Amino acid sequence: MTGAERIRAAVAFETPDQIPVIAQVFGHAATLAGVDLQDYLRDGQLLARCQLAARDRYDLDAVFALMDVGVETEALGSVLRYRPAGYPTVERYAITPNGDGIDQLPLADAATAGRIPELLEATHQLRTALGDEVLVIGCVSGPLTLTAQLMGLEAALYLAIDAPERFAQLLDIAAEFGRQCGCAQLEAGAHTVMLFDPVASPEVVPPQFYRELALPRVRETLAGLRSAGACFTWLHVTGNTQPILLYYQEAGADLANLDFSVDLQQASATLPHICFNGNIKPLAFVEASPAAIAAEATRLVTTFGPRRGFILSPGCEIPLEARPDNIAAMIAAARHPETSAAVATRELG
Amino acid sequence: MTARLESLVQALLDGDQALATTELGRLRQDKVSPHRIVADGIEEAMARLDAKCTVEQFNLLEIMLCGRAITAVIKALYPPGQPPPHTRGTVVLASLEGDIHDLGKNIVKVVLTATGYYVVDCGKDCPLDRLIDTAKAHAALAVGVSGLITTVVPQVLKVRDRLAREGLGAISVLAGGAALKQASAEQLRVDFLAQTAFDGLGYLDQIEAGRR
Repeated sequence: MTGAERIRAAVAFETPDQIPVIAQVFGHAATLAGVDLQDYLRDGQLLARCQLAARDRYDLDAVFALMDVGVETEALGSVLRYRPAGYPTVERYAITPNGDGIDQLPLADAATAGRIPELLEATHQLRTALGDEVLVIGCVSGPLTLTAQLMGLEAALYLAIDAPERFAQLLDIAAEFGRQCGCAQLEAGAHTVMLFDPVASPEVVPPQFYRELALPRVRETLAGLRSAGACFTWLHVTGNTQPILLYYQEAGADLANLDFSVDLQQASATLPHICFNGNIKPLAFVEASPAAIAAEATRLVTTFGPRRGFILSPGCEIPLEARPDNIAAMIAAARHPETSAAVATRELG
Repeated sequence: MTARLESLVQALLDGDQALATTELGRLRQDKVSPHRIVADGIEEAMARLDAKCTVEQFNLLEIMLCGRAITAVIKALYPPGQPPPHTRGTVVLASLEGDIHDLGKNIVKVVLTATGYYVVDCGKDCPLDRLIDTAKAHAALAVGVSGLITTVVPQVLKVRDRLAREGLGAISVLAGGAALKQASAEQLRVDFLAQTAFDGLGYLDQIEAGRR
């Protein structure tokens, strides 16, 4: 099986030849290639080259045509500050804290504004280079996250309470723009597009807030991506998402990214028909040893591999400064679990 | 507790700042002292919120709304130039250099301020030197550092040693935030790793009680 076939088999609860593994190597690909992150995030060809190099280095089953969560808000008029060794942050939001500016968002031109053309170029290059052997994965921000990126998290949450209709209007715009961006990525060659929505986390908003405000829009976005050709739908909310996992089926998610703080046994019971990927601590890729990663990865593979709907991965993005030997250790555990288990036992006792 | 104070507590817990401010006005008309309003109103609301917000059931929105209402009440109670009496010690907070996320830190600030601590906020993207200097200048009880991204970990590792080198080894170091919570207090070389703002408050209350 190819890496792409393995992942697709797991998502369909079929039996892959070995446990698929998704290493969320985003900006770390720039670190690995010795490239300035600021250049990586603004140059589609460079991003594709770095992702291909990371794919070769780690034998990845999937690569990411993904820049950062600032892409969409920048295209909609926010001004970003690029930083030497980190992801850009919003310096000036497109919308004021009380919601002024919603009606002036440049929606008509946004799909071709800012860095989106570079992102699509990266997507196209990766698909051209990898064909259907390795999955090319795009990303869009979920409606709550894009809304927070357009006006600031604090202002967005206050707007939700103080002016719910205005907030709903903004959520609708964010969801529709996310759908458009995702469809453009699929058209450029992405096999699927991950919907990344950290602001939807139960650690940020209560579950009923998610159910009433985010869920209907997430469902619509995922349905739109599926119609546009996504080979499966993928929902990624960070933090302990257990309180909202029961909504994932209704949302139409085929794959659920589960962060390190989620109890996978409990999640497995809540999501009997939904594949999940997870959930090694991202920080462990910086702080732990390859033997420790091998031990944790082997434990996950042994425990959840028999479920079939399981993909080994970190709980979230692999940090920029991760140790490459730790990433290699995770992938080795999926490819050769018995050898990895022996290494972990020998090193850790 | 009087019915009116209970109404204030409920308004604060509901995050209804308009109603909370109205209830405050009524309490002042009834000649209830600011001290009692803080102790039996604001601190009572914080205690109930603390009990409600466990690690499993903690969400930013609820805390933010309550925090906003409390801030409005404190501002009305103590107008500019008449700062509230802080009796429980000084805490210096910062999001360290390289991290510009400060919402979590701001929540901690509200929680600590509302419970009688004096908070000196070094803001976000704060160099370590400034944090240490501020802790020294204010004879802080504790410093609190937050980190949403893993790249701040190397700086967190230096805080305790830097304080000790300045002769400030008695100052407690607290850490919190999404990235830092993946580690342990030992790994980060801090005294306490807070899972939530109230978790941090509980630890501070312990060390503050121990020093009395």
